[in-house]
Amino acid sequence: MNGAMNQIELTGIEKHYGGYHALKSVNLAIPKGGFVALVGPSGCGKSTLLRTIAGLETITGGAIHIAGQDVTTLPPRLRDIAMVFQSYALYPHMTVAENLTYALRLKGVPKPVARKRAEDIAETIGLTPLLDRYPRALSGGQRQRVAMGRAIIREPKAFLFDEPLSNLDAALRVHMRAEIRKLHNRLGATSVYVTHDQIEAMTMADHVVVMRAGVIEQQGAPLELYDRPANRFVAGFIGSPAMNFIDAVTTDQGVKLALPGEPVIATTTRSQPGRKVLAGLRPEHLAVDPDGALRLPVALVEQTGSTSYLVTDTEPMLTVSANLRRDIHPGDVVGLSIDPARVHLFDPATEARL
Amino acid sequence: MRILRSLTDGIGFDLILIGAAMAFLMAMAGLPLVYNVLMSFQEVDMFSLGSLIRPWAGFDNYRSVVAQPEFWLVMKNTALFVVGSIAGQFTLGFALALFFHQNFPGSATIRGLFLVSWVMPGLVVGAIWSFILAGDYGVLNALLQGVGLISEPVFWKSDPNLSLYAVIIANIWLGLAFNMLLLSVGLAAIPRDIYEAAELDGATAWQRFRTITLPMMRSTIGAVLSLGLIGTLQQFDLFPAITEGGPANTSNVSQYWAWQMSFKLYDFARGATISVMMLVLVLFAAVIYVRSTRGEVRG
Ligand SMILES: Nc1ncnc2c1ncn2[C@@H]1O[C@H](COP(=O)(O)OP(=O)(O)OP(=O)(O)O)[C@@H](O)[C@H]1O
Ligand SMILES: [Mg+2]
Repeated sequence: MNGAMNQIELTGIEKHYGGYHALKSVNLAIPKGGFVALVGPSGCGKSTLLRTIAGLETITGGAIHIAGQDVTTLPPRLRDIAMVFQSYALYPHMTVAENLTYALRLKGVPKPVARKRAEDIAETIGLTPLLDRYPRALSGGQRQRVAMGRAIIREPKAFLFDEPLSNLDAALRVHMRAEIRKLHNRLGATSVYVTHDQIEAMTMADHVVVMRAGVIEQQGAPLELYDRPANRFVAGFIGSPAMNFIDAVTTDQGVKLALPGEPVIATTTRSQPGRKVLAGLRPEHLAVDPDGALRLPVALVEQTGSTSYLVTDTEPMLTVSANLRRDIHPGDVVGLSIDPARVHLFDPATEARL
Repeated sequence: MRILRSLTDGIGFDLILIGAAMAFLMAMAGLPLVYNVLMSFQEVDMFSLGSLIRPWAGFDNYRSVVAQPEFWLVMKNTALFVVGSIAGQFTLGFALALFFHQNFPGSATIRGLFLVSWVMPGLVVGAIWSFILAGDYGVLNALLQGVGLISEPVFWKSDPNLSLYAVIIANIWLGLAFNMLLLSVGLAAIPRDIYEAAELDGATAWQRFRTITLPMMRSTIGAVLSLGLIGTLQQFDLFPAITEGGPANTSNVSQYWAWQMSFKLYDFARGATISVMMLVLVLFAAVIYVRSTRGEVRG
C-alpha cells in the first residue's frame, strides 16, 4: 500500500476491550476524496472503528495513517479530523455561531474573522437565521446541520460520521442523504460514514465496507457487493428485501431446489453434480412468469403501490417483488423464473460464494 | 363533600402538604427569627428575659456591638474564616471531584469513603483536629518535623497568628466531602461526547476545562459556593472544640461571638444583634444560590 496516495490508511487494526476482541485485523485504505460507508449489524464494531480513526479509542495493534502521516499514537486534537456524532454533541452553553467557531477560536482566529466564516458556512447549509440561537431551541434537523457546519468550518483532513441521520424522520433522512453527498463532492472531502442502513450505504458511498463481529466481511463498490457478494452474510445484508436462501443440490443443468416439486433452475456457476449448496435468489430477480420453472403457492400479497411483494406458502418461504400490480391473491399458484446469471450459490458449510 | 373531593382529586392534598411544611417552618424557623430580630431592638436583662414586651432600644444595641473593641477583629476573622474555608473546600473538592471523575478502578468506593467526614458531628471532628493540631503531642507536628519542614513544634491552637487557621483547616476537612459530592454530580451531568467533540475540535485538556467544564458547571458552582458560605457562617461546633475563639479573640468569629454574648455574658440583646447582622449575610448568599440554580444552561 502506498501511504502517500491514501488519505486514510488502516493496517491490521486490533482493538480489545478487556477480554472482548472488538476489531480483528482491519485493513482499509481510503483515497483522497473517497466516500466510504461502514455497514453491519448492531454491535459489529462500526463505531469502534470510526472512533479509532478519530483517536477517541486507543488501538491494541496495527497502524493508522492520515494523509501519509503515522497518527497511531497522536491524540484526537492533533489528527485534524472532524466527526459528526449521532447525538450531535453540540455545546449546549454556546450559540450556533459559537458552536461553529469553537475550533477557530481555539486556534486564535480573531473573533470577527471567525464570525464571518460562520456566516459563510451558515449561508451554504441554511443556518443563517439560527446563528444566535442556543442548541436547545433547535429542531433535530437543525441540530444536525449545526453539527455538519461545525465539522466543515475547519476544513479537516477527513470527515467521520457516526449514524448522523438516525434521529431524523424518513423524509428528512432521504433529503439529508443527498445534501451530505453533495457537500462531500463540493468540498472534495474524504468521508467515512457509519450506518446500519444498507440503503444509505449503497446510495451514498463509492466504497462500502460490510462488517460483522469486528471483521470486515467484504469491501468494494456498492454494485460489486450487490452483484457478487463474497458470502452468505453479505448477500443477506445487502439488498432489500433480503435475499432468499434455499437448500439445493447441483445437477447437470443447474441446481435442484429443496422446494415443493423439486424444481430445477439453470445457473451459470457450475460444479460437479450432486453437491449440496445454498442457492440465493434476490426477490427482485424472481419474475412472475406462467412458464417459469418454479410453481409455488402464494401465502401473502403486500402492496406498496409501486411494488407488490409476494410471500410464498413454502418452507423456507420466498419473497418476490413484482413491479406491476397483478391480479394475484393468497392461495393462487404462481409461476416464477430467474435469469441463470442472477442465481448465487454458496457453500453451506463455509457460507463462501462458489 | 366538596372539601372531601378536593382532598381526593389531589388539589386539596397539595395544599395540606404545603401547609404542613409552612406551619412547621413558621414555628421552628420563622418565629425564632422574628423573635431574634425583635430582641435586637430591645433592652434585655435577666429579669425581662421571659417577657415579650421590653423597653425599645432602637439601634442602641447595634451601636454598642460595633463599638466593642473586638468587633473589627471578629469581623476580619469571620471574613477570613469564610473566604479561607470556602476557597479550600472548593478548590480541593473540585480537584478531588475531577480526580475521581477519571473513573479508575475503585474510584467510586474511595469517593464513598470521603463521606465519612460529612456524617461525623462537628464536635467530634473538632476534637479529632484538636488532637492532630496539638502543639506538644499532635500528629501534624510530628509529621512536619519528621519530613523536616519545621524544627520546633508549632502551637497551632495557641499561637495568635495561627489559631484561626487551625479552625479553617478543620473546617475545610469537614466541608470537603460535601463540595466534592455536589461537584461530582455536576461533572457527571456533562455528556461525554461533548468532551470528545471538543477534543476533535482541537481543545487541550486545560481548554476543555475552561470552555466546557467551567461554563457548564456554572449553576453547580454557584450553588456549591453559596451553600458553602451558608455552611461556613453556621459553623459553630469546631470553635468550642478547638480554640474557644482564643487566644484573645484571635480565632473568634461572629457566630461564636454571638453565642458568647448570649450564653456566657448573658447579654442576650447584643447576642441577638450579632446574629441579625449575620442573617443579612446569609440572606445575601441565599439569593445568589436561588439565582444560580434558576439559570440552568443545559441543552
Ligand atoms: N467501552 C467498551 N467496553 C467494552 N466493550 C465495548 C465498549 N465499547 C464498545 N464495546 C463493544 O464493542 C462492540 C462494538 O461496539 P460498537 O459501538 O463499535 O458497535 P456498532 O457497530 O457501532 O453498533 P451500533 O450499530 O449498535 O452502534 C460491541 O459488542 C460493544 O459491546
Ligand atoms: Mg455505533
